[in-house]
Amino acid sequence: MRVLGQIVRHLLLALGGVYMLAPIILMLASAFTPTADILAGRYLAHPTLENFQTVAQQVPLGTYYLNSLIVCLATFALQLLVCVPAAFAMARLRYRGRNITVWLLGLLILIPFQVLAIPIYLIFRQVGLINTLPALILPFVGSAFAIFLLRQFFLALPGSMFDAATLDGAGTLATLIQIVIPASRPALLSLGVFTITSAWNAYFWPSFVLSDSSSATIPFGVVQFINSDAVTAYGPQMAMATLSVLPLLIAFLFAQRQFIRGLALAGQAG
Amino acid sequence: MSTRTARLTPHLLLAPATICLVLFVAAPLVIVLVLAFFNLNLVTGTSSFVGGTNFATEIPHPEFARALRNTLLYAVFTIGPSMVGGLLVALLIHGLRRGQGFWRSLYFLPVATTLVAMSSVWRWMFRADTGVVDTVIAPILGIHDWLSDPNLALAAITVVGNWHQIGLVAILYLAALGTLPQDQYDSASLDGAGGWNRFWHVTWPALGPTTIFVFIMTAGSALQAYDVIAAMTQGGPLGSTETLTFAIWNRGVHYFDIGRAAVLSLALLVLSVAVTAIQRTGYARRLENGGSR
Repeated sequence: MRVLGQIVRHLLLALGGVYMLAPIILMLASAFTPTADILAGRYLAHPTLENFQTVAQQVPLGTYYLNSLIVCLATFALQLLVCVPAAFAMARLRYRGRNITVWLLGLLILIPFQVLAIPIYLIFRQVGLINTLPALILPFVGSAFAIFLLRQFFLALPGSMFDAATLDGAGTLATLIQIVIPASRPALLSLGVFTITSAWNAYFWPSFVLSDSSSATIPFGVVQFINSDAVTAYGPQMAMATLSVLPLLIAFLFAQRQFIRGLALAGQAG
Repeated sequence: MSTRTARLTPHLLLAPATICLVLFVAAPLVIVLVLAFFNLNLVTGTSSFVGGTNFATEIPHPEFARALRNTLLYAVFTIGPSMVGGLLVALLIHGLRRGQGFWRSLYFLPVATTLVAMSSVWRWMFRADTGVVDTVIAPILGIHDWLSDPNLALAAITVVGNWHQIGLVAILYLAALGTLPQDQYDSASLDGAGGWNRFWHVTWPALGPTTIFVFIMTAGSALQAYDVIAAMTQGGPLGSTETLTFAIWNRGVHYFDIGRAAVLSLALLVLSVAVTAIQRTGYARRLENGGSR
């Protein structure tokens, strides 16, 4: 009876698993199959890399990858530089108006970026940032969500840690750099996974500020490629999609725990 | 000197973040409000105050009602199925003695993918007659060519929306299930409570805070749905998949009609605030308290 229940659970999960895996497996299989074979339903009958070669010939893949990499790393690095000190001040330092700043932060988190896209788009047009990498980075550097998250973490750090630092005569900055940041590695790691995958996968904002490939990131390149190419060239299309998805899938398989923890933050981003 | 530095330090630490948040959240929020009352010509760079004209044009326009309706339908058909599906997956995995990690990773895989790229894969799977979906589903249900049918295109979009987030919902419920106190189950079993009773009287109330949290999250992503639509349908056919967020892009960036795009943005803001307001009401409160019903 017990065993039967377990088997039923596995079977039901496998059934749902088909829904989860089908698009990923079909994409991977098609990416390595000539288009003629895809149309005939003979996946991987003659495995080939020609789809990837076609993509590489038609699309500045190196530029896309480099842009994506720069945007991801710069967004996260600047976010740390800007948000960690603010979160630390709001969690651990005394200053006038602290309650108001915390309350305002809670308010700012509620505003979806989509509401602000039109005005930011206009500002960027005005200052000539359209089709540049900074346009993809700047709006996400000062993240109310990141500050909120880090503040929660800093609040939970034991007070004795700070008392000891004060006794040692450590200044505020020294405390932040030598004690708070090393103790916050798990929180910073989760935030890093969250920010970097969001930046890698982003399409909404790029579709506002990008119109050509010079500053395009991979997702923008995928859509451009699929819309420009002949509809029947499914092989290269799936190869292009694979090139966008694969780096994250590989990273996920190697660091599942960190990935799940980081991406689960999406729930709190609201 | 040193006390003065000490008093200045918090403000210095806050300054960069304050500047960023003012520039990219507070100021844009004010600007979007102002823009709704102006007519902006992006080509000539001129603007004129038009009062409530943008509201008077946009709100009675079929586009507005359609975008609201599509957003609402998308929300209903992603929030419900994702929450029920995610909870089911979590309950199934939670009761496993072997292979929990395997199934958890498998269901989470879609969450870690690039949604816009996977949407192009789904578009290919949904292509008329020869696509995987039509080959499998059409003989059973008799429906085909979803993406060209104004009645089915939004359904296809929700299939992808659910696909992308069920794993995330499942993970959140799994984490909550892992923290449930075992003694309540033991006493429920002693009382002779069956599987369903145990779920309804012990598990469901205890999962309350997670349920609220998941609702807010799925509702938020429903309001912000964009990638799937941009890659699969571009809002079509006949506007049947144009949601509020997609309409903002379409009005503002595609048609350069900034005033009306600002009105649509404000509508999105109102809906987003409404979703958070739900958190403060009746049933949500009771779930949040996680106790007796």
